[in-house]
Amino acid sequence: MSVLAAKPCPKMISREEFRFLADLVLTRSSGDQTMVTLHDQHGGTTRFANNQVVQNVNTRRGTLTVTVAVGRRCGTAATTDFTAGSVQDTLMRAERIARVSPDDPEYLPPPEPQPFAARETARPETMTAGPTRRLEYANEAIGQCRMENLIAAGIVSSSVASIGIAANNGLFGYETRTDARFSLTVQAGDATGWNAAAHRSIDHLKIQERTLVAIQKAKCGREPRELPPGPYPVLLEPAAVAGLWAWVLWSLDAKSYEKGTSPLAGKLRERMLDKRLTLTNAPGHPDLLGIGFTSEGLPSEPSTWIDHGVLTQLAYDRFTAQAHGIKAIPTLEAPVLSIDGAACGTVMDLVKQVNRAILVTNFWYIRSVNPSDLTLTGMTRDGTFLVEKGEIVAGIKNLRFHDSPLRIFRQIDAWTMPMETVIAEAGKMLAPAIALPGLHFSSATRF
Amino acid sequence: MGIPSWDEFAEIALKRLTASGAEYGDIRIQQSTTESIQGEDRRIASIRNIEDCGFGVRVLYHGAWGFAASSILSLEEVPRVADLAVEIAKGSASIAVEKVRLAEEPVHRDCVLTPCQIDPFSVSLEKKTDLLLTTMEALHRQAGIVRSSASLWARRDRKLFMSTEGARVEFDLLAGQGDCTATALHNGRFASRSFNTPHLRRGYELIEEADFLREAPRVANQAVEKIHAPIVDAGVYDLILDPEHLSLTMHESCGHPSELDRALGYEANYAGTSFLTTDKQGTFRFGSPHVTFVADNTEPETLAATGYDDDGVACQQWDIVRDGIFVGYCTNREVASKIGETRSRGSNRADGWNSVPIVRIANIGLVPGSATLDQLIGDVKRGICIEGHGSYSIDQRRYNFQFGGDAFWLIEHGRRTHMLRDVIYHGITPEFWNSCDGVADRLFRRRYGFITCGKGQPGQSGWMTHAAAPARFRQVAVIRGESSG
Repeated sequence: MSVLAAKPCPKMISREEFRFLADLVLTRSSGDQTMVTLHDQHGGTTRFANNQVVQNVNTRRGTLTVTVAVGRRCGTAATTDFTAGSVQDTLMRAERIARVSPDDPEYLPPPEPQPFAARETARPETMTAGPTRRLEYANEAIGQCRMENLIAAGIVSSSVASIGIAANNGLFGYETRTDARFSLTVQAGDATGWNAAAHRSIDHLKIQERTLVAIQKAKCGREPRELPPGPYPVLLEPAAVAGLWAWVLWSLDAKSYEKGTSPLAGKLRERMLDKRLTLTNAPGHPDLLGIGFTSEGLPSEPSTWIDHGVLTQLAYDRFTAQAHGIKAIPTLEAPVLSIDGAACGTVMDLVKQVNRAILVTNFWYIRSVNPSDLTLTGMTRDGTFLVEKGEIVAGIKNLRFHDSPLRIFRQIDAWTMPMETVIAEAGKMLAPAIALPGLHFSSATRF
Repeated sequence: MGIPSWDEFAEIALKRLTASGAEYGDIRIQQSTTESIQGEDRRIASIRNIEDCGFGVRVLYHGAWGFAASSILSLEEVPRVADLAVEIAKGSASIAVEKVRLAEEPVHRDCVLTPCQIDPFSVSLEKKTDLLLTTMEALHRQAGIVRSSASLWARRDRKLFMSTEGARVEFDLLAGQGDCTATALHNGRFASRSFNTPHLRRGYELIEEADFLREAPRVANQAVEKIHAPIVDAGVYDLILDPEHLSLTMHESCGHPSELDRALGYEANYAGTSFLTTDKQGTFRFGSPHVTFVADNTEPETLAATGYDDDGVACQQWDIVRDGIFVGYCTNREVASKIGETRSRGSNRADGWNSVPIVRIANIGLVPGSATLDQLIGDVKRGICIEGHGSYSIDQRRYNFQFGGDAFWLIEHGRRTHMLRDVIYHGITPEFWNSCDGVADRLFRRRYGFITCGKGQPGQSGWMTHAAAPARFRQVAVIRGESSG
């Protein structure tokens, strides 16, 4: 394996350098209010398929964004060029836009300066991980699959980003964030198995353990049976739960709620789901991707959104929050779905409690069907099994569901403790595996 | 010494790639300018002008790829990134099993420019925001409309592609689009209706010709009619699908499965594979004899018609499905040779300087037939006309799909009667296309573009245009777009 001889990446924009860049903008701005944000990211992805590397990339990208307000007129410009001339040009572009924009009745000046929680958002082992480490991990997963005569496809990625925000009212925030990811699809003939991880620390990806899980699923799914569509009891693994809950999270928008264009309209402070279900934000959790502050300059703090099945919180933009007298705006970047009561230890413990159900590893291509009642559709993928009398008895061909999480999570039968899970379209959360009495499958596919 | 030109930066990188012993290398230097104006509920919610500049170096070393990119275009960074790309490629090569062989392509030296009548970046922001605000006001004049949105988008890409083979292509490409949406509320239910121009490589004339103020009252009226319309009865219906709706159906059920990298397993961990496996090429009946899909990356104004792809391969026209038989894939220089093709189809595109190019769906279009729209509808006893995009989902091999739409009309005894709501149809791709028994003629052909086609890890957004005339499909399963119980 190659030992990198190329020069290391130029260092990321530091706190002091960001302050310098921000001052360059803020001291020259002719606007009434000016905000500067920084996103400077360096990272790479090693992608493999058919048991070899097919793509191996490393990218450095810095973006500086300037928003200027003149009265209630607002303009935003961004650049990837951090030279003084370009930064000055970016400011002028934002100023030009602001001067000709119409008044925005919802414009609010930047948030007042406030301290942001210092979170462990950056892990040194991820910052120093480069192409060589990623390749080692990819090779480890490929090697395990080769030994089983199976085919691996997946990615190992790692990145570090400097994130900054500053405004002319004194608002200032800066933090470094790391991100490491692994995902793997194992093909065993017509069957596939999948597992994935995301963590601030590349040391926590658990490559070997997750590869074995994906291998086991692929092997177990061989020669799948065909089940007719219809309603079935289901046992959803954490990734499948997270896929459905992502749409609940996206429906929490307060403005849509107030205007009646939300599937949750009228449900605030009402019990809408099983009374044992609670959704919280835990930005300080070491296994989640919590942050210190948002791109708007608001602090990220722990909060409760659904409390024992009761909707207690909405996601406010600053204008809607002010209109409703909401002082502290909650954020939801580190969600935890938990369930009161006795929990099973593992998914397999949960399987043992089920008489007959479909076990779903993951859903794919989940999309809204009806935004009024949050009916969704999507396909099962990468490990769908029939469970009978407490045992997985066969893989089954994939099915399309057509149902609403607001209906199916009104009653839950059994569950595990929350576990780390990450899905491509919705990010990372802690979610339990859950047994549900019914999920409607509307059609079947050929594999 | 002044700042080197893009050509000089490119030469620095290519010299290092050649000196490393790599068999192939290229560099793309790109500056993209994007202007987006978003209107929401009678206000301009944001105006953004984004400049994004950087370069990406791709190298093939001992049959394996490496790629490195940076937004710092400097004399220190360009050699560093070029060397890094080589080192990464050496790492890939260390565990390579099958070496990459690139299909041959003539060396092109050219300049590609999007012709336009009105440069969208020269049109004043006041004029654009006035248009959006007036459009949203027009939407709200209809009773029952509770929310509105309207937006304009324009992008310019200046790009230089150079390779160690001697290729040099300079691009100055434009694209634009505009849209508006009205949302109606009734009895706790809400529904939207939209109007949008296609995404096309045209100037601001695209927006002026669209006449938003003429379309807005119709859109608002239909949003209200839609929310009051009866829900569809589940059953089997004949469907008449309009070109905009078909663009999405074609994209998902024909476009993606025709990407050869998917068929070969490259996307197995994310976007998925394809039921159009290589053994099916030339023999598999994908659709009825009415169904011919042509990939045409040469049609002016379309998104994938960029002159050359990011392999430096000239854009081409070829058949994907001919008279119902699956005959061709979208390919790049890497995968073309794996199925014995001597030349790439030129469908390898990256979504920016920082992304590595991957196989992308071409401008795949449904070839028009000979019927008029009235003739297609006239021969339907019980059916549904579907316009625009709605819900969409398809399995990862592209067999089982489910689509909604933006607007639905019941057809009874050859006549379009009243609107329906919450119509969802589903099927299996080849069965569905085999149920097509008529396509309207060229007069009804329309083009629609996509700029958010997700694929790849890290994820990239692909751009392509799909053209179609309305088509008829017999006996398709329709269900209600609501959850039961």
